[in-house]
Amino acid sequence: MKKWLIMLVAIVLGLLGLAGCSSSDKSSGESKDGKVEITYGFWDKKQVPAINEIIKKFNEKYPNIKVKTEITPYGQYFQKLETAATGGALPDVLWMNGAHVQQYAEGKVIIPLNDLVKKDDYSLDNYPKSLVDLYTVNDQVYGIPKDYDTIGLWYNKKIFDDAGVAYPDESWDWNKLKEVAKKLTNKDKGIWGFASTLMNQEGYYNFIWQNGGEIVSADGKTAGFDKPETIEALKFDVSFIKEGLSPTQAQMTETAASELFSSGKIAMMFDGPWMVPEYKKNPDINVAVLPKGKQRAVSIHGLANVIAANTKHKDAAWKFVQFLGSKDAAEIFAKTGTVIPAYNGTQDAWLKSVPNMNLKVFIDSAEYSVPLPSVKATGEIWQYEVDVLKKAWSLEVSVEDAAKELNKMANDALAKN
Amino acid sequence: MKELPLNGDVKGKRKKSVSSLAKTKKRSDYFWAYVMIAPTMLGLFIFYLWPILQTFYYSFTEWGAFGQHVWIGLENYKRMLTDANLFQSIKNTAIYIIFTVPIGIFLSILVAVLLNQKIKGKTVYRTLYFLPVITMPAAIAMVWRWLYNADYGLLNYLLSLFGIKGPHWVSDPKIALYSIIVVAIWSGVGYNMVIFLSGLQGIPRVYYEAAEIDGAGPFTVFFKITLPLLSPVIFFVTIMSLIGAFQVFDLIFMMIGKGSTALEHTQSIVYLFYQHAFVLNDKGYAAAIAVVLLIVILIITAIQMALQKKWVHYD
Amino acid sequence: MEKTKRLFTGKTFLIHFILILGSVAMVVPFLWMILTSLKTYGESIHVPPVLIPKDLQWGNYKEVFDLLPFFKFMLNTFIVTVARTVGQLFLCSLAAYAFARIEFPGRNFLFLLALSVLMVPGQVFLLPQYMIMVKLGWLNTLQAVIVPGLFSAFGTFLLRQFFMGLPKELEEAARLDGCNHFQIYWRIMLPLAQPGLIALGIFTALWSWNELMWPMIVNSSPDKMTLSVGLASLQGQYLTNYPILMAGSFLAILPMLILFIILQKQFIEGIALTGGK
Repeated sequence: MKKWLIMLVAIVLGLLGLAGCSSSDKSSGESKDGKVEITYGFWDKKQVPAINEIIKKFNEKYPNIKVKTEITPYGQYFQKLETAATGGALPDVLWMNGAHVQQYAEGKVIIPLNDLVKKDDYSLDNYPKSLVDLYTVNDQVYGIPKDYDTIGLWYNKKIFDDAGVAYPDESWDWNKLKEVAKKLTNKDKGIWGFASTLMNQEGYYNFIWQNGGEIVSADGKTAGFDKPETIEALKFDVSFIKEGLSPTQAQMTETAASELFSSGKIAMMFDGPWMVPEYKKNPDINVAVLPKGKQRAVSIHGLANVIAANTKHKDAAWKFVQFLGSKDAAEIFAKTGTVIPAYNGTQDAWLKSVPNMNLKVFIDSAEYSVPLPSVKATGEIWQYEVDVLKKAWSLEVSVEDAAKELNKMANDALAKN
Repeated sequence: MKELPLNGDVKGKRKKSVSSLAKTKKRSDYFWAYVMIAPTMLGLFIFYLWPILQTFYYSFTEWGAFGQHVWIGLENYKRMLTDANLFQSIKNTAIYIIFTVPIGIFLSILVAVLLNQKIKGKTVYRTLYFLPVITMPAAIAMVWRWLYNADYGLLNYLLSLFGIKGPHWVSDPKIALYSIIVVAIWSGVGYNMVIFLSGLQGIPRVYYEAAEIDGAGPFTVFFKITLPLLSPVIFFVTIMSLIGAFQVFDLIFMMIGKGSTALEHTQSIVYLFYQHAFVLNDKGYAAAIAVVLLIVILIITAIQMALQKKWVHYD
Repeated sequence: MEKTKRLFTGKTFLIHFILILGSVAMVVPFLWMILTSLKTYGESIHVPPVLIPKDLQWGNYKEVFDLLPFFKFMLNTFIVTVARTVGQLFLCSLAAYAFARIEFPGRNFLFLLALSVLMVPGQVFLLPQYMIMVKLGWLNTLQAVIVPGLFSAFGTFLLRQFFMGLPKELEEAARLDGCNHFQIYWRIMLPLAQPGLIALGIFTALWSWNELMWPMIVNSSPDKMTLSVGLASLQGQYLTNYPILMAGSFLAILPMLILFIILQKQFIEGIALTGGK
C-alpha cells in the first residue's frame, strides 16, 4: 500500500501546485488569547545579540507581543523586501536605509508615523535632525532613527612609526594627506600610502562635499556630477591611484582594500565605524578625523525602523518601534560596540566600549555632516556610479568624461521618477 | 495489493465478448498511462511549459517598483537594438563558446583516446580528471579567482620564477574572459572525457584488428576508424556543450567583481538576464533577453541538426 | 590489464607524460585550496607565497562555522538533493514507463510536448517560476528549491529510452498473471532499469548539490540557503579573505567528494550513460 500512498502524494502535490497559483494569502501571527506575533526584518548579523537582548527587555514590558527576527544579508535584503512587498508579505517592522525610503514611502508599502507620533506624544527631538530629515518624505516621517555612521580616516600606526611621520590630526588638509601618502608609500615593501576605494559613502562623496560639490541638487531634480567642484574632487581621489600611492582599481577588486589595510599593506583609508569590531583586534590601527578640503564635511547615514503597510498588528508594531527607538534600546546597542546609537546622549557608552580607539571623531564630525542623497532614484544612481566611475578609477577614461556620462545617466534617472 | 474499483477489468459484470474484453483492457491501459504520466506532465506544465508562454508575455511588459507590470508592446525589443551592453554580452558569449566548445572537446577526446590505450593507472587518471566535475562551480570559481590573483596568486608567482610579470587575470578587460574560458575547459574536460571513453569502448575491436593487419599507423587508425565511429558521440557532446556554454553564469558571477572594469567584457547573456531580472528589477527586459536566448539556441541547434548529415556516421 | 615488456616504450612514456601533466593541472587547484585554507591571512598574501603554512590554522574552519550557519547549509543542501533525486527518479520513471510501454491516445503529442522543454534554456522558465514562488509565499523555503526540480523532461526521456530497450516477453507474462501496469512497472521494469535509474540519480544529485542561480533567487535567508548560495554570500561578506573563503569552499565540496570516492564506478558509468544515449 505504501507505493499507492507515494503516488497519491505525488498527484496531490501536482494539483496543489496548480491550485496554489491563484491563492496566495499568508497570514502572519494569529492572535489567540490576546497574544500577537510580529516579525522584525534586518540584515546585520553582528547586531543579533544586541537585538535579542532588546527583545527580551521589550517582552518584560509587553509580554503579549512576541517578536520573531528575520535576517537577510545586505546583498539580498532589498531585493527580498521588494518581492515580499509585491506579495504583501513584508515583516511588520524592518530596517530601512536612506537610499530606499523614498521609493518605499511613495510605493505605499511602509506607513507614515506622524499620527502615531502625535497620538503618543513621541519626541523626535531625541535624534540628530539630519537623520529625522532623511526619513521624512513629503513632510511625513516614515522611520524612527536607529543608529548612524560617519566616516573617519583609519590609519596604521606602525607604518607611520616606521617612516617617522606624525599621526593624522585635525590640522590635516588634502595637501597634507597627499604629502604623507607619498612618504608612506613603499614599493619595495608593497605598502601603499592611501586607498582610493570606489565607494561613495566611505569615499568620494566626502571629497565632493569637502570641495563644495554636490551629488543631487537640493530640490532633488538635477545631478551634480559635472560641476567643476565635483570633478575636481573626483580627480583628487583618483590622483592617488594615478601616482601609485593607492592600489589600482584592479588590485582592489582582486584583494579588498580593507583586507590589505588590516594586514598592514595600506597606511591610511577612509571607512566607517562598522569596521570597529574588525579593527579593534589589531593594536596598530586607530582612527582620526577626515582631512579638510575647502571646508569640513563628512557623509552621514543612519538606519531607521519602519512599519510595513501590510502589517496586521499596527499597534504592536508601533510599540516595538518605539521601544527600539528608546534610550534603553540605544544603550544596549552602545554597550555591544557595534553601532553608534542615534538617541542623543547615549553615544558615550559606545565610546567606552572600545576605549583604546579615538572613536570620538565619528560623533564629533556629525556636527558638519551631510546626509546621503535621498531621492527615489538613489538606488539607480548608485548602480550607475559603479558602472561609470570604475572606468575612471581604472584610468580607462578621464574623470571629466566619466563624470559627464554619469551626470547624464543620473539626470535621466531623476527625470524618470 | 487490490485492484482499484475504477479499473476496467472488474468494472464490467456484463457478458464479455472478445472485443469488449479487449476494449476494457484498453481502457485500463489508458487509465494507467494517464495516472502514471500525470504528476510529471502536470509539473512540467506548471513549472516549465506555461512559464515559456509567460516569459513571452512578460517580454512585452515593463515592471514597476513592487510587481506591477504594464503592457508596452515591442519596447523591450526595440531597446535591445540600442543596448551596447547586450551586444557586448552576445559577443562575450560567442567568444566563450568558440573557445570552450572546440578546445574542450578536443582535449577530452585526446584524454579519452590516451586512456583507452593499454596503460597502467587508468582508474587513477580517470578519477583525477573527473574531480572538477563533481565540484560545485561556486567553489571552483573561488579557488581559481585566488590562483589568478595578480599580486598574491600562485599563477603569477610561478610566472615570476621565469621572470615574467603576470597580468591581472580576472580584472584586465582584455584577458578576463579568456581566464574564465580556461577554467570552464578545465572543469568540463572530465565530463566529456567519460562520455567519449564509453563511446570508444563501444567501437568493435575487429576494426582495429583489421587495421593492424593492413599495417595502418596510429594516426591513420585514429582518423579513418576512431573519429568516424565516434562521430555520433561527438555530435551529441557538441550539442550539449553548446547549449551549456550559452548559459554560462556561475563562473562569471563568482569570479568577476562588481567594481571590475572587466565585467562589461565578460558578462554573458545569462549574466545580463540575471542582472536585469533580479538586481535591477527590470523583469520585462530580462524576459525579452530570455526570449532572444531561446531563439538563438533553437537556431544553432537546427543548424547543427542540418549539418550533422554531412559528418556524422551512424552504422 | 595485461603486463607486457612494452610498458615503458617511448609510446607509453609519452602517454603517461601527457596524462600526468593534465592530472597535475587538475589537482593543483584543489591542493592550493586546502593549503590556503590552513594559512593565516598574512601568510596567504605573503610574497613569495608560503607553500606550507607554519602553524596549521584549523581556526579558519571554525571561523566559517562562526560566520555562517554552515551545518544548516549542509543540511539544507542534503535535504534538497535527496528530495529532488528521489522525487525525480520516481516521477520520471513512472511517466517514462507509460510513454515507453503503454499505447494511449495522445501519447506522441504529450511526449513531444515534454521533450520541447529540453530545447529551452533554463532562463526562460526562471522569471515565471519565481513569480509562482512569490504567489505561493514560498520564498525562503526549501520546497521552493525542491518542487520545480521534481519534474524533469530529461529524466523522463532518458528512462524512456531504457524501458524501450527491455524485452516485451517479461511484460506479457506478467499481464497473463493478472498484474496491472503499476505492478509491472514496480516489480519488473524498475529493477531492470536500475542502471538508468542510477545514472539519472547521480546526474540529478550532482546538479542539485551544485546549482547556484535558482536557490540564490528564491532563498536569501541564511536559514534556507544551500551551500552554493552560502559560498556566494561568504564571498560577499568576506570579500577576499582567502584562507576563510578556501576553508568554506573545501567544506562545501567535501561531502560530494566523499560520495564520489565511495561510488566512483557508479558516478563514472552514470555520467557515461546520461551522455551515451
